[in-house]
Amino acid sequence: MKETAPNPFINGLWRQNPTFVQILGMCPTLAITNSVQNAIAMGLATAFVLICSNGLIAAIRKHVPKQVRIATYIAIIATAVTVTDYLVKAISISVYKALGPFIPLIVANCLVLERAEGFAAKKPVIPSMMDGAGMGLGFAFGLTCLGTVREVLGAGTFLGIHLFGPNFEPWVLFLLPPGGFISLAIWLLIFASYRERKDRRERARAALLTVQPAEAQS
Amino acid sequence: MTGTTTKSTQMIRFLGFVSLLCGVLIVGAHVASQSRIRVNQEEILRESLAQLLPGMTRQVIYIVTPTGELTPAASGESSDKRIFAGFDAGGKFLGVVLEASERGYADVISAMYAYSPASKTITGFSVLEMKETPGLGNKIGSDPEFLANFKALDTTHPVAAVKHGKKTNPWEIDAISGATISSRAVGRMLAASVQEMAPIIARHRDRIERGN
Repeated sequence: MKETAPNPFINGLWRQNPTFVQILGMCPTLAITNSVQNAIAMGLATAFVLICSNGLIAAIRKHVPKQVRIATYIAIIATAVTVTDYLVKAISISVYKALGPFIPLIVANCLVLERAEGFAAKKPVIPSMMDGAGMGLGFAFGLTCLGTVREVLGAGTFLGIHLFGPNFEPWVLFLLPPGGFISLAIWLLIFASYRERKDRRERARAALLTVQPAEAQS
Repeated sequence: MTGTTTKSTQMIRFLGFVSLLCGVLIVGAHVASQSRIRVNQEEILRESLAQLLPGMTRQVIYIVTPTGELTPAASGESSDKRIFAGFDAGGKFLGVVLEASERGYADVISAMYAYSPASKTITGFSVLEMKETPGLGNKIGSDPEFLANFKALDTTHPVAAVKHGKKTNPWEIDAISGATISSRAVGRMLAASVQEMAPIIARHRDRIERGN
């Protein structure tokens, strides 16, 4: 992937959003987004891991022998995840309980390794940490989008606050795995159609400009 | 790719350095967070105890030895079987809290329940940890109708969960509809735990109620 955007933070947050554009890290995306709280916590945990691992890898990038670079990245990512695991446990046991076995799985989130190999290995520390923050928050944004749909439809609540009163019959399907796939599909559809429409508009304008530059102005 | 020997030693040295760095970071985080984690776990335990035995201000913890004897335990973590005896501000015995666990629909459910040695009934139930299906199985921890089963659940007869709305006897648990497997797991967990612990508690009842 070529970094064309000047700002690595915005790049991760929007242009190369991990969930909706790169479609990376789908396992946690589908597994833990049945409530908004889980989605936000998981997103932030992943963002923290990305910032730490990108920063560390960028700091030592010039000394990493090519043959053992993947082993090095994995060791550093695993360290960042273990530290995060301790931190979450220390900050809130209830969040830790909800995230359960998913924090250790951040190690296997291909997004983290992809950012290490694709960005931090070539760029200085500060832009790498910015990229980690952007990608992490972009991931958190994607998870929150999914979590909102699933929690509102599946439980009738948002962040645990009841929205519809006692007569609402929750659509439990959305809390179960199929609901994850369905809401992910809906979001992907929305973002893809938005992008396509924008592309088409830009192409049309470009065509107009090349053919009749004078008329396009009016 | 010239000079493979130097390359190898370089790689080994570099990986050694990375491992050392990672090791230091992990141990550092472990040491720094350990005390806070223990405080959090104690907090969860204390909340569950307070919820199970309302009005409790003092607790005495016993560890059950393999021979069925009791030894007083300092608070803190332990993998042994524990009995928590609760007393109110006036020193009156309120009941005991026991731990139980059982395989549920997804992974092990671990819970605590309050038991009254005098009436041989279960008087409260609280889930400590579970991974049951959100919206269905995880209602065993929150559904008021389900938790009402444990206001005075008779244990003189083996406890069992029955289908939603079919409860007729005081030892039966009215299952949550749509979460029968999780409800049954709760029934099995309580039945097994009571069967094991009730005789021990009965034998040491005087001592537990005095709190020494």
